[in-house]
Amino acid sequence: MSTPETQPRPINQHIRRNPPIEGEEEAITKAQKGDPQAFEMLYALHKRRVYSLCLRMLGNIAEAEDLTQEAFLQLYRKIGTFRGDSAFSTWLHRLAVNVVLMHLRKKGLPQVSLEESLEPVQDDGPRKDIGARDLTLAGSIDRVTLERAVENLPPGYRLVFVLHDVEGYEHNEIADMLACSIGNSKSQLHKARMKLRELLRTGERKEQAV
Amino acid sequence: MTDKRVKKKDTANMDCAQFQERLPELFESGADLNADPHLRKCANCAALVRDLEYIAQQAKLLLPLHDPSPTVWNNIQSAIQRDGLNLEKEDTSPVKQP
Repeated sequence: MSTPETQPRPINQHIRRNPPIEGEEEAITKAQKGDPQAFEMLYALHKRRVYSLCLRMLGNIAEAEDLTQEAFLQLYRKIGTFRGDSAFSTWLHRLAVNVVLMHLRKKGLPQVSLEESLEPVQDDGPRKDIGARDLTLAGSIDRVTLERAVENLPPGYRLVFVLHDVEGYEHNEIADMLACSIGNSKSQLHKARMKLRELLRTGERKEQAV
Repeated sequence: MTDKRVKKKDTANMDCAQFQERLPELFESGADLNADPHLRKCANCAALVRDLEYIAQQAKLLLPLHDPSPTVWNNIQSAIQRDGLNLEKEDTSPVKQP
């Protein structure tokens, strides 16, 4: 993993995480014809990202593995319909996102109907931050702390944050995956970052109080 | 696409609430906020922007690190062999939102 930069780059310039993968195109074509080895190669190439998405959304290894399995079984069924209109990883991610959202709905979480998941009803919207503050986050967040804070985001915020800031998808791709508007994706991302800031600062205050 | 120069000029006379309302738009414009007129005079909003930039930057630490256990692939293979899953050939649009 690369060392974090000292100076943050402009916030909307993130690293592209789905560059073309050598041999992937050929594997897709072969897998579409039912070649099991080609499908296995696609699994090997994408299992980590799909699994990580599932794990971040569910916070549970067993469930994440079940959904990874379901996502790839759906991939096996549907790969013949992939036409290359978007990057394969984007298409696969969209499929995985749907599997995750369906699962969360089945679990009865009210905020994961798609519209609601993207517009949580509780008071999680960005608050204006107008009072004086004594803390800044710079230099204080490690991976574990951030991971824990992300786990505490409402599912809709978490999904957009993970897709954009972690995975590097563009808003138009996220809007396509989630069947929402680009504006909605941008708005949810901002709310997610604001909520994360609140969570991280609360955590810092608690640590200082101990 | 909105003009970044207009945005920069606009923020000079904004109060904090107005500036923060515009913040998502300013981030997405790709403008260099370090030189933003409002931020130069407002330490609180400057701290907010620094934090949000820092969070976005640190998010890259969360790259996928773990693979699923080998059981997952074994189960996939078994399911394919057992059920002979039917491959969809016609494009009915890849994945539709339910």
